[in-house]
Amino acid sequence: MWDIIPVDISGRHRIKGGYYMVCAAAALTVSADHIEKVKQIKILPLWLKRSPSLLDIVQLVEDTADQLSFEGTIVAEKGDMYNKPLWMPESMFSRAFKYQESIAERRAIELVHHISLSARNLLINELQIEA
Amino acid sequence: MKISAEQKSGNENRVILVKRTIPNSDPEREESLFQELRELAKAAGYHPLGELTQTRFPDSRYQLGRGKIEELAELVRSTGAEKVIFYNKLSTTQLFNISEICGCQIIDKFQLILEIFAKRATTHRSKLQVELARLRYEVPRARAIVSLLKKEERAGFMGLGDYEDSYELDLKKRIARIESELESAEKDDESLRVFRHRKGFSLISLAGYTNAGKSTLFNAIVNESVEVKDMLFTTLVPMTRALDLGGRKALLTDTVGFIEDLPHWLVDAFKSTLDEIFLSDLILLVVDVSERPDLILQKLSTSHDTLWDRIQGVPVITVLNKTDILDESELETIMEQIGYMAPNPVFVSAKEGEGMTALKAEIIRHLPAWSFCSLSLPNSEKGMSILSWLYEEGIVHRVEYGKRIMVDYEARKEIISKAQALMNAEEN
Repeated sequence: MWDIIPVDISGRHRIKGGYYMVCAAAALTVSADHIEKVKQIKILPLWLKRSPSLLDIVQLVEDTADQLSFEGTIVAEKGDMYNKPLWMPESMFSRAFKYQESIAERRAIELVHHISLSARNLLINELQIEA
Repeated sequence: MKISAEQKSGNENRVILVKRTIPNSDPEREESLFQELRELAKAAGYHPLGELTQTRFPDSRYQLGRGKIEELAELVRSTGAEKVIFYNKLSTTQLFNISEICGCQIIDKFQLILEIFAKRATTHRSKLQVELARLRYEVPRARAIVSLLKKEERAGFMGLGDYEDSYELDLKKRIARIESELESAEKDDESLRVFRHRKGFSLISLAGYTNAGKSTLFNAIVNESVEVKDMLFTTLVPMTRALDLGGRKALLTDTVGFIEDLPHWLVDAFKSTLDEIFLSDLILLVVDVSERPDLILQKLSTSHDTLWDRIQGVPVITVLNKTDILDESELETIMEQIGYMAPNPVFVSAKEGEGMTALKAEIIRHLPAWSFCSLSLPNSEKGMSILSWLYEEGIVHRVEYGKRIMVDYEARKEIISKAQALMNAEEN
């Protein structure tokens, strides 16, 4: 069993007035091919007027993961880090980081993807943000 | 730049292998990817005469830098190579520009894989799949190919009219025709799977990176003698054989291997073949454990990537093959590094036949559960005929003949319900 924090960011595209992103992170215990336990989930929104840089993304992911009282490796999709080689985001994070590899990690990313997407949709509706 | 000793040997199918690497990438990993290109070229029957690499970000016109392409053209002239194979994906413009300078045919890794598949395709369906993959590869390039070809042509090339559209439409029509033919084959497969399930067979498939030893393991488990070679993509057409697992009947299928960066159009074209894996009851994911741990991880990652969203909840057993090459402490060290990517690991040596009992036990443990029951059949001709049917459909643990026939029985739930219904019908 391994402790991981899968993360996903929705809203990387420009809308009226800038970028409204929502990051979701989950505290999970996984085996190689299954999510064994979901312990906690946190989301964090971010408004940016300019297009987000890799550093902005890393900061948003770190801030979301810091809300979880959980030690685990942050796992993300390569696309979320602008398809940069692993060493680049890895050297920017203050905790362990990796790209998704196993079946369980991919399922975990799928889970947080749905969470970030639906949370963003909800926030956009509730806050009446023009998308 | 390296030129092999073979360069003057006058071999046919002489090629130059080229790869562009991204700055700051891991040199060992890049070398292993280049090795894969060498093996792919070997599998397609080519003799590499030279190799060329460059570390840089891609150039939109030539993929490599203009100077390096001129160096490549010089290498082609000096070695007499007939073809250049790029590891990197080339756009139509890049293909055209490079072939103009080098004066020979240029292909990329994906076209090379298509060539291998075309060579190995023996059945009507696999030929259709290869044709479909080739057409899907060509469609996005169709317009560019025609406009590049007619750049220096005058009116009259391929007759009057809108050439780009007609060529593209022609390709799309052929794709639709092949797709509908393959679709009917898929329906046949689906009904075959339903039939096999109804007959009590569990479906097990072998999956894994190409050249992991799937066919060797297949031969070892079912005592077959399918073709085994130390070569990529030896198996292209799926092969299914019956397997007896302590009374439970199963069908084991050996099929095509995975490879890194396999484009989606190739996966889609081989959908009906890969469905053998995705729609089975259990997947044996074969891994060559004698390789370097980082390579094993990379290959496992590719396999997980191909499988993860297509297999739903199907259990996966990781078969760590070629353990005869390593000792126990080495295996332990490797497991520490790859454990998080290897669900339900089992160590085997398919070549030596070691670990087969443990593998079969693990397979039985993960097959869909069967139920136990005790049945009481009338000791009559009809009762004997039900008993004979029970033997065919499941495992009879105990039979006692008296006034009635008492049977301890294990089978799928549907079979047990059917047996009870038959028994009740006989008694009423």
